[in-house]
Amino acid sequence: MTKWIRWSGLLGFVVFMAVLVAFWLFAAAPIIKFSIERFGSQAVGAKVDVDEVTLGFNPLVLSINGVQVTDIDEPMSNLVSFDSAVADMALFPLLLGKAIIQDMSLQGVEFGSVRQTSGALSKPAQTTPSQTTEAEPAKQQVAAKPEDKVKTSSSDPLLSADEILAREPLLTVTRGEKFKSSLATHKQEIDESLASVPNEKTLRDYQSKLDIILAGKFKSLKDFKARKKALDDLQDQFKTDRKAIKRASAAIKNGKKDLQSQWSGLKQAPKEDYKNIKGKYTLDAMGTSNLAALLFGKDAGGYAATALEYYEKVSPLLANDDEEGDLLEDAQQKRLAGQFIHFPTDRPLPDFWIKHLSFSANLPMGEVMVTVEDITHQQDVINKATTLKAVGRDLPAIKSLTLNGVLDHRIGKGRDQFDLAIQDWQLKGLNLGLAGLELDNSLLDVKADAIFNGSHMNAQGQGSFNQANFSSNDKTVLAKEMVSALANIDTFSVDGKAEGKLSHPDVSISSDLDSKLSKAFNKRIKQKQDELAKELRNKLADKLLSYGGDYEDQLKQLNVSEGSLGDKSKAMGKMASTEMGDYQSQLKAQAKAKADKKKKELAKKAKDKLKKLF
Amino acid sequence: MLGMLAKFFKVLNGDGAPGQIALGFSFALFIGLTPFLSVHNIVILFLVFAIRVNLSAFFLASALFSVLAYGLDPLSVLLGESLLASPGLQEFWTSLYQSDFWRATKFNHTLLLGSLSISLLLFIPVLILSRKLIGLYRERFMAWFEKLKISKMIRASKFYKLYEKLGA
Repeated sequence: MTKWIRWSGLLGFVVFMAVLVAFWLFAAAPIIKFSIERFGSQAVGAKVDVDEVTLGFNPLVLSINGVQVTDIDEPMSNLVSFDSAVADMALFPLLLGKAIIQDMSLQGVEFGSVRQTSGALSKPAQTTPSQTTEAEPAKQQVAAKPEDKVKTSSSDPLLSADEILAREPLLTVTRGEKFKSSLATHKQEIDESLASVPNEKTLRDYQSKLDIILAGKFKSLKDFKARKKALDDLQDQFKTDRKAIKRASAAIKNGKKDLQSQWSGLKQAPKEDYKNIKGKYTLDAMGTSNLAALLFGKDAGGYAATALEYYEKVSPLLANDDEEGDLLEDAQQKRLAGQFIHFPTDRPLPDFWIKHLSFSANLPMGEVMVTVEDITHQQDVINKATTLKAVGRDLPAIKSLTLNGVLDHRIGKGRDQFDLAIQDWQLKGLNLGLAGLELDNSLLDVKADAIFNGSHMNAQGQGSFNQANFSSNDKTVLAKEMVSALANIDTFSVDGKAEGKLSHPDVSISSDLDSKLSKAFNKRIKQKQDELAKELRNKLADKLLSYGGDYEDQLKQLNVSEGSLGDKSKAMGKMASTEMGDYQSQLKAQAKAKADKKKKELAKKAKDKLKKLF
Repeated sequence: MLGMLAKFFKVLNGDGAPGQIALGFSFALFIGLTPFLSVHNIVILFLVFAIRVNLSAFFLASALFSVLAYGLDPLSVLLGESLLASPGLQEFWTSLYQSDFWRATKFNHTLLLGSLSISLLLFIPVLILSRKLIGLYRERFMAWFEKLKISKMIRASKFYKLYEKLGA
């Protein structure tokens, strides 16, 4: 029998196996470290760093120290990091290449810790700059948020009359400026034309001169000629002055017509402005209809966005690779390479399985104990879903916090469900981001649940605020009115819903605060509406006055000037129509008068003779 | 290829026991046809090294069967699938599945089970057949074959000389 045994071969085999085991013992830890870093980085899409991995053999304990998982969106910060992880591993499955961790506990877990070096994966040189530009838009988005806030506040439902008038393009101003400009132009034109019109003294002088010219009889032909020349000169002057009067009358007439036309438009402008402003600025409680979304949307949206970010990063890690890619092609490849057929068992062996993971996370709200059961990417093998439970421990501001999650990826695209319950969360100094409003203090109860079906989500939550007190440091009208309106509200609830595609769900936030605020606002708003309307009208009237000014007086003066010009024109016309007879006519008239006198004397003599005869 | 052929004839024409050579061929079925990194192959290697199996024949046949495995794999997968899915065997497989040892053998892998089954089925036939063929060859054909031109060519080739030099 012994002749069949090859001792040298037996020894060689034993030595070979011993070397193999020895190699595994020494190389296992570095290989595990390398594997975690390499495959972890591939899975996360950013660097996963491990300081040290040690392996203990009795019992088999894997210790991983200094783990940092980079946030792919912010390479200078970690998605999660922990100081150490101690894992109790099952030896036998490990020999089969299956990492089955019975129990794993993490210490020093932190989220969003700062990295010393960038955790971006090195890419080809030409793509490296894009990494920095990828990070920058994120910062820009963050930086843009305050601007958004400013934009939001620009649509504040309540503003002062001055604020409204300052930001609105007013017809009163537009038409007023035009009117003012036209008035100045016309005034200048009228003044210039009136300057060449003779005044009363000049007219009296004209009349005196005319009287002198026409007084008495021509003493001689020379006298006649001199008077004639003086009259002609005077009439030429009359013609010039009449033309000036005509121009001035036309200027006044045009000015009056234009200004009157503009004035009627200007007088209507304040009414039109008020109508426009009233339509644009809802001076009623409708302005508060979605105030809750404005107040709490940012915070609720922020928490939800953070939760979704973490979910989107974790969820793919749970997905079974078997479900990815072209299933048909995958199945064909498997068929050629063979595949494992799993049978019902209470001892399933997936490639990777953390049966129990526990850690405490230091979050801004305090310490939260987290336990996760059955972490594996092959849930179909273990036929169990990954379950998550987070419980707040001695939280300073929260009476109780519980988050339960079930991530089930056994069938299809998976179905993940989360329930969150927070009781008596003492909120203090919560900046609401609108009009400097702060929720000074309040007790908040939160109940929320979310279901993720593949790429679809359906989440809803309700926050019940009790003993709420608001304040604002802003001096704006809105801030004051908000605080006044909120003073009587100490309980309210905020409901949030997110439904649709995971990448862009339809989000809605509603609250009974809206109706409560509306009610409280209605009274204040009515009062403010009246005040504001009155103030607006007064301001607009002031503006009208500033443009119209003493237009009415000026118009009266223009009318007077126009009338005066008419009189002057008439007087000038009368004077201009004055004519002087010629010297020959005067001589003929004298000769005729002499002949007539002689004729009368002869007739009288004849009459007396006839009387004497009878 | 020429080197393998030379080695094959060296084994056949050498003084190795026909039974040891036949065992080498038979054990090579497992290494060649089944996935290499399997627990049963450790057992096979242990047996091959511990028992006086002709190692040259074993490695030569392993390489040969590995090439054959490419063609046989689809058949092996089908066989493995049918065995694992067989209703009558479900209880048996399920009971094996509860054991870490049997799980370590990856018996529930379709290719491994199929190819292992084929290897097991062929083990005895290959052992007997190769044993008989080696005896037949040595009795009737070895002298005639050594006179053939191809045999002389092979022996004159640098590969054959290299093998001889290395004592393979």
